[in-house]
Amino acid sequence: MGSYCLRRILATLPTLLVVVTVCYLMLHATPGGPFDDERKVSAVVLANLQAKYHLDQPMWKQYLYYLNNLLHGDLGASFRYADWSVNELVAKALPVSAAIGGGAIALSLLIGVLLGSVAALRQNSAVDYLVMLMGNLGHAVPSFVIGPVLILVFAVWLRLLPAGGWDDFAPRYIVLPMALLVFINVATIGRVMRGSLIEVLHSNFIRTARAKGLPTRIIVLRHAMKPALLPVVSLIGPLAISSITSAVVTETVFSLPGLGKLIVNGAANRDYTLVLGLVVLVTVIAVGFNLLVDLAYAALDPKIRY
Amino acid sequence: MRRKLRVSPRRVGRAATVYSLLAQGELDRLQCEATRDPIPFFEIFMKMLSNSLALLLVMASGGLAMAANVPAGVKLHETQELVRNNGSEPETLDPAIASGVPANNVIRDLFEGLTAIDSAGRVVPGVAESWKQTDPQTWVFKLRKNAKWSNGDGVSADDFVYGMRRLVDPATASKYAATYGVFLHNAKDILEGKKPPVALGVKAVDAYTLEIRTPFPTGFLPDVVSNLQLGPVHKATIDKHGKDWTKPGNLVGNGAFTLKDWQVNSKIVVAKSTNYWDAKNVQLSKLTYLAVEDGNADVKLFESGENDWVYQLPPGTYEKYKQQYPKEIRNTTMLGLRYYSLQNADPVLKDIRVRKALSMVIDRDILAQRVTADGQVPAYGVIVNGVSGANPTRYEWAGWPMDRRVAEAKKLLADAGLAPGSKLKFAYNTSEYHKKMAIFAASEWKTKLGINLELEAMEFKVLIKKRDDRDFQMARNGWVADYDDATTFLTLVQCDSDQNSQGNCNRKAEALIDEGNKSLDPAKRRTLLTQAAQMIMDDYPMIPLLQYTVPRLVKSYVGGYSSTNALDRYRAKDLYVIKH
Repeated sequence: MGSYCLRRILATLPTLLVVVTVCYLMLHATPGGPFDDERKVSAVVLANLQAKYHLDQPMWKQYLYYLNNLLHGDLGASFRYADWSVNELVAKALPVSAAIGGGAIALSLLIGVLLGSVAALRQNSAVDYLVMLMGNLGHAVPSFVIGPVLILVFAVWLRLLPAGGWDDFAPRYIVLPMALLVFINVATIGRVMRGSLIEVLHSNFIRTARAKGLPTRIIVLRHAMKPALLPVVSLIGPLAISSITSAVVTETVFSLPGLGKLIVNGAANRDYTLVLGLVVLVTVIAVGFNLLVDLAYAALDPKIRY
Repeated sequence: MRRKLRVSPRRVGRAATVYSLLAQGELDRLQCEATRDPIPFFEIFMKMLSNSLALLLVMASGGLAMAANVPAGVKLHETQELVRNNGSEPETLDPAIASGVPANNVIRDLFEGLTAIDSAGRVVPGVAESWKQTDPQTWVFKLRKNAKWSNGDGVSADDFVYGMRRLVDPATASKYAATYGVFLHNAKDILEGKKPPVALGVKAVDAYTLEIRTPFPTGFLPDVVSNLQLGPVHKATIDKHGKDWTKPGNLVGNGAFTLKDWQVNSKIVVAKSTNYWDAKNVQLSKLTYLAVEDGNADVKLFESGENDWVYQLPPGTYEKYKQQYPKEIRNTTMLGLRYYSLQNADPVLKDIRVRKALSMVIDRDILAQRVTADGQVPAYGVIVNGVSGANPTRYEWAGWPMDRRVAEAKKLLADAGLAPGSKLKFAYNTSEYHKKMAIFAASEWKTKLGINLELEAMEFKVLIKKRDDRDFQMARNGWVADYDDATTFLTLVQCDSDQNSQGNCNRKAEALIDEGNKSLDPAKRRTLLTQAAQMIMDDYPMIPLLQYTVPRLVKSYVGGYSSTNALDRYRAKDLYVIKH
């Protein structure tokens, strides 16, 4: 298993190189540059700016320069946030995204699996309909609608929680955005869990277990749960990545200083270094989560061995 | 204890300067200026007298201490703290590099220039106590001796010399180096690397006397130097910390406030500086700048009581909030213009008759009242209302009934040979606001002239690229003044100007502008510049549409917010919290 992990981690390096190169080319092929603005800068000022950021060098030279810095763990200087390096920006935004996104995933796994299982065990009962209604609602109503409604109710009307912002991991700023993410994630996880558990409960080995006279509690917990969890586990990777990349809606609604905002502002401002740095980060996280998911598979399914 | 009102020997009765918001490129977010008439000495004397009396009265009645900016009778709140949304994350807190409105707003509190703009939009003394133009191309500024950096060092003329040299140094690569460098002798050559920064026409005559030479007579220089790009910076701090000198803990400024906290994309907190020379007249102990970009989130924070000052209302909500919050709604006209650039070299648009017809039939009144519906003012020329140095020009047809305008436009198009059913292309950057305006323009041209408009929505940077490359037929455009003088607007339509997207050029008008700029007689200059503006507009290079306003909500207990400040440059120094 150790050597498997090592092989997987080494295999990331070529992936990373391809991702960085493709992104680099795409970014530079996009029309407009970091210094294009409503107020056009004069030719001489533009030349000075490009010299300062090494953009006056040939493309291949800039690319090698970037790769070299990347190897040394330096993601470069940001164009949009001129006083900060990309490393500093990521170091500040990542914990915010991780706290809200990570917390939301953990919580929604717990709630989602629980609700999904209850719905599956009480199929076509009132509980089932309620869970399914919640699931459909979470899917159908976009987060930019649910978010402002939460704010209206809890911040503007009840004045229980802040309408947005961030204050050094103070819980009251985390509650609403996390609630929003949990609601959306639970919708997905709950539905998947319900479907998968129903399927497992109808399979032959469960019937055998029932025939043996095992109590339902043991059947569900010991025999059905593990295989039913597999589809849920495979959801974790995409959910984790989307909690960074598509967090921009949550971050906009709740004015959070997370990674999503950096990605969107970086792209809109042609902040080459910032966008590349975040792409590298997201790639690493994606690969890491996929590895974790594969390891979890092995733990849950005896047929899988590495 | 007595309040001193300093009066410069020469009052420049104009003030204004607003920056284009470079961050997101949304000019919608901007804001601006205007206050004119020089105050007569008598009035100032009377004001001093009445304020002193008020002060005595308040002291006698055991009221709270009064300061320069708090009117008599106003009671102050116990805690003097405010939260103000700044619209976006500042790109920097380095005055030389700053270009957007959010950055300049914070920098205005952390630093102080030779002059400053007060809440009413007037030029007031900053570090300079007085100033005068000693010859047509030389200004001399006398600095106050008690001005201090936040670390206790004294502010001297050398700090200004260093700041200005740093601005134009090619190594600094400031976006505003050329914009303000225009007013400094030798700046152009330094920017191009032909001369060293020490050749700049800025000299410390002694520790408290600064001499600035301009390449041409510049009567409005005291207004220009209120911009912190031309302000002082603390050399020892920059030398010590390098790129990190603007971080909390490192930054040394000479403003009324110091930098306490900076959370990127979240907030910047500034606190009252104890070393500031006029600290006794500073009311706020703390001001928090938020970096909320979303207008709806901004309003929600205002409604939940976490924000005292909305940056700008989302498009289409002004009327609603005006009803809902009559005491908190604010809307001020600024020195800014929304217009459509026409590609003057385009095969169809190179005919002036076509350009004129297109401009004539757009009903600016309906556009302002029904479409944007946020208090903006119809515009018929490149010079907007309230700007100094030239009068707004207006087309004769602006006063005609629409039927007559349409008939005339149809005739022009027929003469030009442009048949109904012809197609034109319009490029704009994706935004609800711009889309609304474009759809209105398209319907005007379709229903009145039979011209079909193809709307092309694109990302902001793509639009800018198209405009810079002159790769468009018609394109959305906008401008907000950098300083209160007509020349900032004339750059939009002048030959060889970086800001001219249309490619139009009128050499005769150009000669008038040159002549006007060299003239020492303000009245003559005004006549010449107005004439030039009229001549250019009669070529119909672009379609002026609306003059900007910035609608927002501000809590009624925020003191120092002036409804007549069309400038939107507020120093935290001038703000206070009224008892509530």
